[in-house]
Amino acid sequence: MVPLWMYLAVAAAMFCIGVYGVLARRNAVAILMSVELMLSAVNINLVAFWRYITPENMSGQAFAAFVFVIAAAEAAVGLAIVISIYRSRRSVIVEDVNVLKG
Amino acid sequence: MTIIGIDVLTFLIAASAVGGAALVLLPGTAQYRTLVRYTALTISTVIAGISIAVFFAYTGSTNTGGFGMEVNVPWFPVLGVNWHVGIDGISAAMVLLTGILTPLAILISFEIEERVNFHMALILFFAAGSYGVFVAMDLMIFFLFYELTLVPMYFLIDQWGGPNRKYASTKFFIYSLGGSLGMLLAVQLIGWSVSQVPAEVVETLRATTPALANYAAGSPSFSIGVINALWPALTTQVGGLFLGIDVNAVKGLAFLGFFIAFAIKVPVWPFHTWLPDAHSEAPTAGSMLLAGVMLKLGAYGFLRLVIPFFPDVWVSDISILGAFTTNFATILAFLAMLGVVLGAFSAFGQNDIKRLVAYSSVNHMGFVAMGIAVAALTYGQMYMSGGSAFVQDAILATNGAVMQMFNHGLSSAGMFLLAGAIYHKTHTRDMTQYGGFWVKAPIYGGIFVFTSMASLGLPGLNGFVSEFLVVRGSWTVFTTLTIISMIGLLFTGGYILKGIRGVLQGPFNMHWKDYKLEIEVREVIAIAPLMALMLITGIAPNWILSVINATVSLMMGVQV
Amino acid sequence: MDFNAFISDANLLPWLIPVGPLLAFLIITLLTNRSKLVPATSAEYGGHHPDYEGMPVLVVADRSRVISIIVGMSGAIAAWLISLRVVADALALPDFGKKVLESSAVWMSTGAFTFNMGVLVDPLTVIMLIMVPLAVVMIFIYSIGYMAHDPRQARFFSLISLFAGAMLTLVVADNLLLLFVGWEVMGLCSYLLIGFWFEKHSAYRAAIKAFTTTRVADVIMLLGIVYLYATTGTLNFRDILYNPAPEVEAVTEEGQAFKLDTVFARLPSAQEGESGETAAEGEAHSEGEAASAEEGHTETWAQRLAATPAIAFGGISAAGLIGIFLIIGTIGKSAQFPLHVWLPDAMEGPTPVSAMIHAAAMVSAGVYAIIRMYPLFEAGGHPHDGDFTSPLMLMAIVGSFTALFAATIAIAQNDVKKVLAYSTISQLGFMVAALGIGGFVPAAFHLITHAFFKALLFLASGAVIHGMEHGEHHVHAHGHGHGGGGTDGEFAHDAHAAHGHEHGIVPHAGVPHAGSSIEPHDAAIGDEHDTLHAHAFDPQDMMNMGGLRKTMPITFITFLIGGLSLSGLPLVTAGFWSKDEILAEAWLGLTEGFGPHALVFIALALAAFMTAFYTARQLCLTFLGEPRTEEAKHASLGNGVVSATMTLPLIILSVFAIIAGFVGVHPDFPILGGIFSANGNPFFNLVTLSLVEKPPKIDFNIIPVLFSFGIALGGLWLGYLVYGRKPLTAGQPDPMIDALGSSVHNTLKNKYYFDELYTALLVKPSQWFSRNVSYLFLDKGVIDGFLHLIGRAFTWFGDMLKVVNAWLIDGVGDGVPELFVRFGAWARNIQTGRVQQYMLLIIVVALIIGIVFAVSTGTLQASP
Repeated sequence: MVPLWMYLAVAAAMFCIGVYGVLARRNAVAILMSVELMLSAVNINLVAFWRYITPENMSGQAFAAFVFVIAAAEAAVGLAIVISIYRSRRSVIVEDVNVLKG
Repeated sequence: MTIIGIDVLTFLIAASAVGGAALVLLPGTAQYRTLVRYTALTISTVIAGISIAVFFAYTGSTNTGGFGMEVNVPWFPVLGVNWHVGIDGISAAMVLLTGILTPLAILISFEIEERVNFHMALILFFAAGSYGVFVAMDLMIFFLFYELTLVPMYFLIDQWGGPNRKYASTKFFIYSLGGSLGMLLAVQLIGWSVSQVPAEVVETLRATTPALANYAAGSPSFSIGVINALWPALTTQVGGLFLGIDVNAVKGLAFLGFFIAFAIKVPVWPFHTWLPDAHSEAPTAGSMLLAGVMLKLGAYGFLRLVIPFFPDVWVSDISILGAFTTNFATILAFLAMLGVVLGAFSAFGQNDIKRLVAYSSVNHMGFVAMGIAVAALTYGQMYMSGGSAFVQDAILATNGAVMQMFNHGLSSAGMFLLAGAIYHKTHTRDMTQYGGFWVKAPIYGGIFVFTSMASLGLPGLNGFVSEFLVVRGSWTVFTTLTIISMIGLLFTGGYILKGIRGVLQGPFNMHWKDYKLEIEVREVIAIAPLMALMLITGIAPNWILSVINATVSLMMGVQV
Repeated sequence: MDFNAFISDANLLPWLIPVGPLLAFLIITLLTNRSKLVPATSAEYGGHHPDYEGMPVLVVADRSRVISIIVGMSGAIAAWLISLRVVADALALPDFGKKVLESSAVWMSTGAFTFNMGVLVDPLTVIMLIMVPLAVVMIFIYSIGYMAHDPRQARFFSLISLFAGAMLTLVVADNLLLLFVGWEVMGLCSYLLIGFWFEKHSAYRAAIKAFTTTRVADVIMLLGIVYLYATTGTLNFRDILYNPAPEVEAVTEEGQAFKLDTVFARLPSAQEGESGETAAEGEAHSEGEAASAEEGHTETWAQRLAATPAIAFGGISAAGLIGIFLIIGTIGKSAQFPLHVWLPDAMEGPTPVSAMIHAAAMVSAGVYAIIRMYPLFEAGGHPHDGDFTSPLMLMAIVGSFTALFAATIAIAQNDVKKVLAYSTISQLGFMVAALGIGGFVPAAFHLITHAFFKALLFLASGAVIHGMEHGEHHVHAHGHGHGGGGTDGEFAHDAHAAHGHEHGIVPHAGVPHAGSSIEPHDAAIGDEHDTLHAHAFDPQDMMNMGGLRKTMPITFITFLIGGLSLSGLPLVTAGFWSKDEILAEAWLGLTEGFGPHALVFIALALAAFMTAFYTARQLCLTFLGEPRTEEAKHASLGNGVVSATMTLPLIILSVFAIIAGFVGVHPDFPILGGIFSANGNPFFNLVTLSLVEKPPKIDFNIIPVLFSFGIALGGLWLGYLVYGRKPLTAGQPDPMIDALGSSVHNTLKNKYYFDELYTALLVKPSQWFSRNVSYLFLDKGVIDGFLHLIGRAFTWFGDMLKVVNAWLIDGVGDGVPELFVRFGAWARNIQTGRVQQYMLLIIVVALIIGIVFAVSTGTLQASP
């Protein structure tokens, strides 16, 4: 059977790609997608640990289901914000949106 | 004697203060000027009438230590401060003087055009403070009013004074206030320390001292009568050490606190330089009250407080640089002599008419200080050894000093009035700019000569009586100093004649050809009472001297 | 008060003597002195002023002038009549002398005692009451005419009334203090009257000089009074000089329970080791006096004082020291050397004032005071036995020196009034010297006779001046207005250039201009007007006169009588008799070999000779020969009221200048003694009633009489020889210049340069001291400097506190918030607004925290 570390390695790789995307991409939509990627990597971890370490306990699957819901909600809200920013600024480049600057 | 339910002495103070406050409330604008002036004049005249009545109604009694019209109401019981007022012969004369001079000062202030209401109010406030000092029989009340007189006088000089008024008023205020800081400490110390006198000593003294009748042994008290009896009784044997300091050293320091405060006010010679500045810069009314009343506060303080409080300190030996031994009474006499002589010289060296008159105060108050020194020495001797060879001399000298206070009040106020009158018309105080005013102002000239002669101490006028008494009293006690002070008496003539020459004599200076120089009717009315008193007191001094004499004799232990 | 008592009670009547003139003074001053305004160029405004162009000036209104004269005259006449009544009352007293008219009232309270003021009429007062009011009335009458054109005549009458009132107060005073009151009020009056024409520099300077010079003496005299009062407890003449002093015990009570205290030893004056006695004679007279008191309580205070050592200046008695103090007072008032300088300058006043000062009142008062207090000066000595006390020695020396000294100056004076002024000084020297050798009676006698003939001489000289001004007016009728007796123009004659007025010894002659720069453009303000009205003609200069006997005959005759009386023309003039008595007194002592008597005799004989000489010179220069100027030719008193009121007093006084001497003729004088003094010398008998110890009667001696004859006649003859036989013509120099040598003559003319000396030694230094040392150095420099130093020290301290405040307190207070602001400013850099950076930061921090957490908890090690 495929060993646990392989799942973990894939998940880690996915997470790193997500982090990279979030930090490096300038397009807000791409950043959102990278966040989705990071969430998926976490999901892989959750499911993998459940399957290999505590298969009798369902909490791992339950957490994964939660993460799906949150990811969906986040995508919906995030995309809505991006679209509204785009409407007001005609841009989805995050550098252009720095109203939080102190 | 009460007026609308208030005893008359309190009424004098209260009426002056309330009258002043009422004037402040009146509008100060130009169209109400006349109203303000006459209101102030009316108020002060009424008060003057009361003060005259007080003088003539006063009768002292040996049972009360010579005091009359006493009122004693607790005020700050915790501290032992009472609203305690009363007068004896010396205070009566001073109350009379204050009463007479206030309306005259107000009358002369009619020449003031700006902020009349405040000016008049300040004069009345000053009168209130002076009455307070003269009638106080409680040390705290005395001190309170003593300091209170400074404030109105400061503003009178500072707001309505001559060209150099800022310097003069600041010097006057800081010097006077700074001088009495030591006194403030001494007052507090004394008030507390009478509680340290053991009960048996209090009981012994109670028999002979009327003021101790209601005093509970061991409690602090600011009553002057109580302090008179108890504070000198504190010695290293009685009461012992004092916060770990020798009681004599404490007394010496307290003495210096009082001495310097009053010496500045009198002024005794080296403390006098505030006076020419303040007097010459003050408005006429300010100068009149300053010379007429304020200087008396110091001399009065000496007689009322410093002599009875410190009989032992006055006569205790002090060594000067190890070279010779003397005592404070002799030092005061020496300074008084310097005041007489150098005051006269400095007056003689002036070309500024008001400054000349101001220095004449130093000269004249020197005689007061001389009389006080004789009184202090004799009183001290009597306290220390039960008797003195100089009792009669001291009575005469002290009579003379008090008379001189009164007389100087009249004549210097008159001189300032006249100097102010001519300044008001010519706007210069420099006598070299005057010349021959007698041609255009014969009435002014006559009054000027008369008042100058009263100031000079011409026999037949008031000043002579007091100067004779002081010289007579100090002759046996301070012979050498008296002889030297005759130089001052000689130069009194010098500066008076210089003043007359500067203002009246010589060819008329045509520069003033179109000026109105003759004295105004209002000014004549203001000086006429003073002149009448100068003449009456010179010819028949006993109307006031008998009152003073009774108190002074009692102080020196002589039954009249 | 029952006014009738004053009339009916002879003891109270003397109170009223001075009241008349004093009341007149008050009434004129307060009520009747009304003025009107006239242009300064009006003739009514006299010539005593610079020209006040375009300024109206005040002239006494005509009605006021008349009323004031009436009031003044009434006062004087009332005083005269009351005096006569009082004299009659006094002389009618049985046992006059032991009994006197006296009354007194409480004047002031002094402890348990009182000081009484009162009046006293004893024999000495009586002779003064005969002389003074009479002379006063004469002078008043004369003033009506003399001052008739003065713009301030009402003021003149008020002041001269006060003057007379003061003199009369002094005469009737029963104590030294009241005498001093009159004395000083007269000083004031003389000041105001000498400076009556106060616009003239010379006038007010002379006035100030007179007042100041006499004040020098007066303050010392005040010490004498004070000392006397301190020692005896009374100043009453009778109590001190006549009545027995109270018993010692009684006095001790007065001194209270005295206890000699150690403080006494500290007094500087008592340190000379005589504290016991000194203290004893303060108020309580013990010890030494106790012994004498046991002898029977009859000694007077004067005698007791003579046995008491003085409080200071060891070596002389209390009586001696008091005496010296009092005599110094007289030296000032009677213008004795060295305080004589004021009197000649006092001539600046109107002439009636000169008469008042020099004859009737002021200078007489000085001598009167000594005569009054004479027993005190004599106490402890017997001048008739050659035993002199220090006051007597002082008087003998000062008097004889002054008599001679002033006489020499009088020789070289050209001003008609100055000659008389110096002769007054000289004659007063006679009296003082006589008193010094015990000549109580001759001195009093000479005082009276001198008062009459000197008043006469002054009034007559005033008439001469008036006449000369009249002549001047006549000559320059178009010129300035009639001067009403003015004495302006001192500087006409070259010889007068150094006359001394402009060197006035006045302490502040000329208030300095320096430092008075308020209105510097007013250069005219001040003292430089002197030359404004210096006339070219001096009506007082005898060199301008001559031949006046023709135009002014009455003046000539009366002046002659006065002059002869002054020179002591034997037998017929008053001056002879009194002077002769003084010389007789001195001669008697001389024969017994007493030094002071010899000094007095020689000095006075010489002085008397010179007196006769300069009198002859004055008479000759003024009246004999031909007029030396146009003005003198036209000199006259004119007609009318002015002339009459000025002439009448001259005539009356000239009668007295002759007959006054006959009351004091020695009983043994050949022929005349029998006529006038059949019952003994009346003057001697009366005056000595004032004394407890009568002076011995001097036997008649022909030698001094012959001296008197020789001196008077010789002097007059010599004077006539030089000036009368060949009268000076116009422009001719004084023959004295040749006779004496011009340097000596100049010295005399300039009065031995005393004015210059005093100015340089006393006046200038005291002015310098006052201004520079007392005021500028001590007060402004040292004391104010010290105060300002303290003030500056506090200011500096305050400034220092300000610095500390700024650095420390403000540093901390402001620094802390500043720190937070800076941190915040730095921290806001993190807040870029770029979400990705935030996230990076979060990750980095999370990583760091994670690593730190892992390392610190050992999780890393434990994980495998």
